[in-house]
Amino acid sequence: MDIWTAIKNRRSIRKFTADPVEEKKLRDLILKAGIWAPSGGNAQTWRFIAITDQKILSKLKLFSPGLLGTPKAIIIICQDLVYALEKGGELGVKTLSLMDTAMAAQNIMLAAYAVGLGTCPIASFHPEALQKIMGLPVHIYPQLLISVGFPKEHPPAPRRNLDIIWFNYYAKK
Amino acid sequence: MVTSACNLVNETKSYGPFRLIDAASRLITILSENQISSPELEKIQAKIEQGKYKVMEDESQFSSFLNDLVLYITSLMENQD
Repeated sequence: MDIWTAIKNRRSIRKFTADPVEEKKLRDLILKAGIWAPSGGNAQTWRFIAITDQKILSKLKLFSPGLLGTPKAIIIICQDLVYALEKGGELGVKTLSLMDTAMAAQNIMLAAYAVGLGTCPIASFHPEALQKIMGLPVHIYPQLLISVGFPKEHPPAPRRNLDIIWFNYYAKK
Repeated sequence: MVTSACNLVNETKSYGPFRLIDAASRLITILSENQISSPELEKIQAKIEQGKYKVMEDESQFSSFLNDLVLYITSLMENQD
């Protein structure tokens, strides 16, 4: 699949089939796509936790209001904030780590679409609650969830505003 | 719902109504799993699921959907004793 097709046709999927997602597929999404995103100063302070256990998924769902539908897997994208501070200082912790998480997430979601999986990025969850459920140390901080599963829908694309680009100078139109 | 209450302090305004309507749908599912159900509850849930994601497309359409849903529920109640 060419990259333009993936970019144009990826959707946020909130209805999934009951088919399980193999661990190998999740591993590939993370190791062959996610970590190939750029990271500030090449810090690579991201840490990924892939969840396929349905009991753990049910617990995570209780503290993730943005997790809609019944995906068979979730990828929790965390940042090692101690390492982020060491590699990038305050900028690394407050800004670069978030940007890096987002770029890795987009790689994952595009790659997922290319292999027939549906995904949805989820920012509405309680990070500290997830840390408690998963037994994560305080410095491994969940920043974004991605639900993963076989899609049961292909929603239409929301309208895009094309009047958002300027060359060389920003000028009110 | 508790996490929604906590997070909504800092989230997009329209997510408040969305979380409430989603919670209503989840509550209907929980009731059904505990053998509390009715055709009316199923219809309400179906309506919710049809329209709740309008919140991400068009705020005024979402608002109309919620208003219509309230009126739909009143129409269901009119048919009851």
